[in-house]
Amino acid sequence: MDAATLSSSTTLEPLFAIMAQALNTLESTFHKLPGSAVIQRYVRSSHQNDPGRTLLELLLVIFAIRTLLQSRTRADRKGSHFIKFEEKEINELVEEWVPEPLAQPLTPNEQADLGVLPIISGPNGPRPKLLATGKTALNLASLNFAGLAGNEHIKQLAIETLRKYGLGSCGPPGFYGTLDVHMDLERDIADFLGTEASILYSQGFSTVSSVIPAFCKRGDIIVADRSVNFAIQKGIQISRSAIRYYDHNDLNSLEEVLQQVEKERKKRRGPLTRRFIITEGIFARDGTMSDLPKLIELKYKYKYRLILDESYSFGAVGRTGRGLTEIYNVPASKVDMILGSCAIGLAAGGGFCAGSQIVVDHQRINGPSFVFSAAMPGLLAVSASEGINIIRSTPSIFETLQENVRAARSILDKVDFITIPSHPASPMIHISVKHTPLVQPASAGLLSPASAALISPTKHAKDQMRQEYEAEERLLQEIAEECLSQNVIVTRAKTLKGQEHNEPKPSIKLALTAALTKKETEKAVGVVKAACVKVLGRRR
Amino acid sequence: MAVSKPTTPSMFKKKSGTSLSAMASAASYLSALSQADARARGALNGSPTSTPALSISSSVTSSSQDTVLHEEEDYSDGLALPARPPTSEQVFKTVHTEFGHCASEEFRLTSQHTPGEPVPGHVDADPPYYILFSTYISYLILIVLGHIRDFLGKRFRSASYAHLMPKGGYAPLNSDFDSFYTRRLKTRMDECFSQPVTGVAGRTILLLDRVSPDYNHTQLFTGSPNPRLEHLGQGGCADAVEESIKRYGVSTLGSRLEGGSSDLHTVSEALVAKFVGMEDALISSMGFATNSTYIPALVGKGCLVISDELNHASIRFGVRISGASVQMFKHNDMESLENLLRESISQGQPKTHRPWKKILLIVEGLYSMEGTLVNLPKVIELKKKYKFYLFVDEAHSVGAMGPQGRGVANYFGIDPRSIDILMGTFTKSFGAAGGYIAGSKTIIDHLRVHGHSGPYAEAMTPPVLTQVVASMASIMGVKAPLPAPSSSGLRLSSPAPLALEYEYVHPGPAPHSSLPSWLSLPRELSDGSEGSTRLRRLAFNSRYLHNGLIKLGFITYGHPASPIVPLLLFNPGKMNMFHTMMKDRQTPIVVVVVAYPATPLVTSRVRFCVSAAHTKDDIDTVLRACDEIGDVLDLKHGIPRSERWPIEQITERAVELARMMK
Repeated sequence: MDAATLSSSTTLEPLFAIMAQALNTLESTFHKLPGSAVIQRYVRSSHQNDPGRTLLELLLVIFAIRTLLQSRTRADRKGSHFIKFEEKEINELVEEWVPEPLAQPLTPNEQADLGVLPIISGPNGPRPKLLATGKTALNLASLNFAGLAGNEHIKQLAIETLRKYGLGSCGPPGFYGTLDVHMDLERDIADFLGTEASILYSQGFSTVSSVIPAFCKRGDIIVADRSVNFAIQKGIQISRSAIRYYDHNDLNSLEEVLQQVEKERKKRRGPLTRRFIITEGIFARDGTMSDLPKLIELKYKYKYRLILDESYSFGAVGRTGRGLTEIYNVPASKVDMILGSCAIGLAAGGGFCAGSQIVVDHQRINGPSFVFSAAMPGLLAVSASEGINIIRSTPSIFETLQENVRAARSILDKVDFITIPSHPASPMIHISVKHTPLVQPASAGLLSPASAALISPTKHAKDQMRQEYEAEERLLQEIAEECLSQNVIVTRAKTLKGQEHNEPKPSIKLALTAALTKKETEKAVGVVKAACVKVLGRRR
Repeated sequence: MAVSKPTTPSMFKKKSGTSLSAMASAASYLSALSQADARARGALNGSPTSTPALSISSSVTSSSQDTVLHEEEDYSDGLALPARPPTSEQVFKTVHTEFGHCASEEFRLTSQHTPGEPVPGHVDADPPYYILFSTYISYLILIVLGHIRDFLGKRFRSASYAHLMPKGGYAPLNSDFDSFYTRRLKTRMDECFSQPVTGVAGRTILLLDRVSPDYNHTQLFTGSPNPRLEHLGQGGCADAVEESIKRYGVSTLGSRLEGGSSDLHTVSEALVAKFVGMEDALISSMGFATNSTYIPALVGKGCLVISDELNHASIRFGVRISGASVQMFKHNDMESLENLLRESISQGQPKTHRPWKKILLIVEGLYSMEGTLVNLPKVIELKKKYKFYLFVDEAHSVGAMGPQGRGVANYFGIDPRSIDILMGTFTKSFGAAGGYIAGSKTIIDHLRVHGHSGPYAEAMTPPVLTQVVASMASIMGVKAPLPAPSSSGLRLSSPAPLALEYEYVHPGPAPHSSLPSWLSLPRELSDGSEGSTRLRRLAFNSRYLHNGLIKLGFITYGHPASPIVPLLLFNPGKMNMFHTMMKDRQTPIVVVVVAYPATPLVTSRVRFCVSAAHTKDDIDTVLRACDEIGDVLDLKHGIPRSERWPIEQITERAVELARMMK
């Protein structure tokens, strides 16, 4: 046995020699490396103190390497949910798979609505001609608050601009799409509202859904009105910020939410994040108006930034159409971002965001629809600039408009079967069906979303609610068609059913304009009133 | 490709006539730059001036204000007047600065795919390692310097960093981390971006000069424009637009479903549908919004969107809003796509393994940053096998590709109806704005009602619609009405019972009745001859520039037929230099340089957008400029030296070169 050990040790001797030599070479190479002494000393000392620690550190290094390698492979492939199939099985599965059609055909109701959509022949304005009948009608559907549509002077300027600049801007603002007239309009808007600067977007609707993700990122907090318009909802969705809603146009509810957020923040002691209040000036869905001074007070108290969408109030309310800041006499600089639409307010095209220089500059690189879309046509920018010029120098426009609004409200407020949620000064008036006590309980959910959330509705109740909702829409559509047959264009407020965060109450949307005289407005609204009485009265 | 003429007497005027050797070293160039800068600063108080430039970037060209002031100034730059004067037989109706005069029929090509020829995929051309290495080092230096400056700046000059630091209980509006790239990297080359322009963007563009006194933090304008694919600027289209402004005004006041619909919308949509060869089409007032508001109406929860990794931001925006799951495949790599399809269909939805409700493949016809063409024949083949729906974004290809200009399907000779949805924009080829989406009647009607734009977004304005109709008609050509009594009164919306009505066959000329009755186009537009000339010129220009750059030894991306030609620069510092050197030539050339985040970090590039308005001489000028600058900046890392052609040979054998396949 001794011999065996001896012989094996002799046979292994050369091997040991080689190993020892290799070890030596390795050691000397290691010592030649710069900084090797430090590592050696570190390992030695730590090992002496606690061999367990060295082991732990070694494990950590291995773990780190493993993690690094792992992140390069696709997660789902390695995931526990991945099922391995044979090629043949995949072919069978592909064969079997039947996709749904890309788009469902329209329902008969939708088809009918699309069919009776009033199409205007020739220029749109206060008294356009209908394509279907060839008759001239009074227009309470198109957004032309200040009556700038069809202004000959604007047309002339637009033609001159066309001759000088051509039509399209042919590039995004960053790449030679910025024309001097765009910069002029930006200055005009900032000057008109009294902000440091402003930035133009080429579509009003896309403005807010681009501004929000430019500032609000993951981890930020947005407190928004429950009934904000669709574009804001989409902007919030894409921003991935934490979102809290407060009850529609209820600033007490807002304050409660703000307090609660503050409390939660203190509890968590997280880092300071950006916080935003997002709401509208005049709400697109019902014409109610925000209490701006109170909003500003709350914003300062709780240290939030305010994003105010004035799409329906810019160029519509205030002595010279500056919007909410003018009505409440609040300096525009107190609102961090004022958004408006040149398409709605100035009868041109595009939208804008006005604010401080920092706010505007940030969007020039971070606003998705600013960076990735072509700038708006030069002639629309010039038209908008001229629009500002006109409303700024002609305050009588808004006096006429307010007179028309008062005249319309005095007629409509007396009608029995309808409710009007809109603010008395709003030139956009929403009319919805008043719920008779009989219908009230079933549709309670529609009226107050808060209570709807409390009662978890059964499927049956939900169905019933939907039916009620559709019935109401049918009635309103009937009213709109009745008006159309009397040559007054009105429209139901069209919404995307099932896609809104909080389903708006069906309504008819009247857009008054300064371009119609008081008499014409009274006549047109009279027709609406008669149609409401006729259709809704019959229901009773 | 803006040809801008420097306002101040050009410091290069004397030199550039001879050759680039005068400033063959970057150092001498830089010193010249600083001199020019000093001069421009001195002129700050003076009256505003502007620079015109040959525009190869987006869509405009310029004639400078001083060309207007000093008519007698020399036209040696070839911008204001053609180098070869036209003969008496050739009558040009366009302004040379907007649409270059080019009489030679030689310089024309048809944009068409040769059947059987393989569609080139996307090839990542690798530069030498030292270029890659220096690129990474450049970024590293920039990043390290940036962080050091941030660190020190916040401590010692906090006033200038106030907007990056929490103040009075407010978190900073943009965190310093998020804005780091913008502040520390982009600011260094801000002069390449957002330069404002004036006038018509055509062959040339008029730039508004600007000067920055504080290292690009602010840009001042001292007074001061670039065209894209096929800008149909003035002339017949503008007359039509003017008429429409007189008739319709400027706005349509409201959304399509709420009192903003006019007869002009109906007519335009029907014409767009004919143009692209689909049953129906829908127009949206903004290109970005076409994707971002209609995709969510097509897919939703439980659906899968398969998207090319280099799809445009608007598509990503739309898909993210829709709530559908997204998978990406490698850019234009059909193998990767097929593998992904097999995996997605067999695995079904994540976790639940239920089958996907539907799978929508979204690809672009022509990729805006790479110039690659989608491999449509293969995609259609896959579509038949895997039953997904196909959405092709033709933002850059419609009106530019194909023998009739109808887009990629036309280029490949594929029936457009084998594609489910064609989307495109009017910005690039039609000189207008906004976008369209086309498909079967069922789909489009669904989008009218369920797309976000229908009820909420403003409708497209009449002047823009008219530009679309007029420019489309000029590309299509108009079939004169058959000798029927007063067919002019017909509108497309009312189905005409007249048997004499000309039946539209895709891709043929537009029936006369599909245009608004008041629209009268000049003869050269309505017979489609000018449109077809433009398309053929564009096809020639694209191939010539592309193949020329390759023969010069540059690394380019993309399909040779693509009007977008990216030339790779790699090092970030070269972007600035390239841009400035092009702009400061005797015949200034405006180009677009693009870098991260629009491209991968390493592959910064300059993007040439060729227009039909450019003449062969213009492309020569550009090639010459690139040749010279390419030597100075060490950009020629493409084909080996032995295969390269000298610039003279390229310009002489241009026709042969353009007809060469890659």
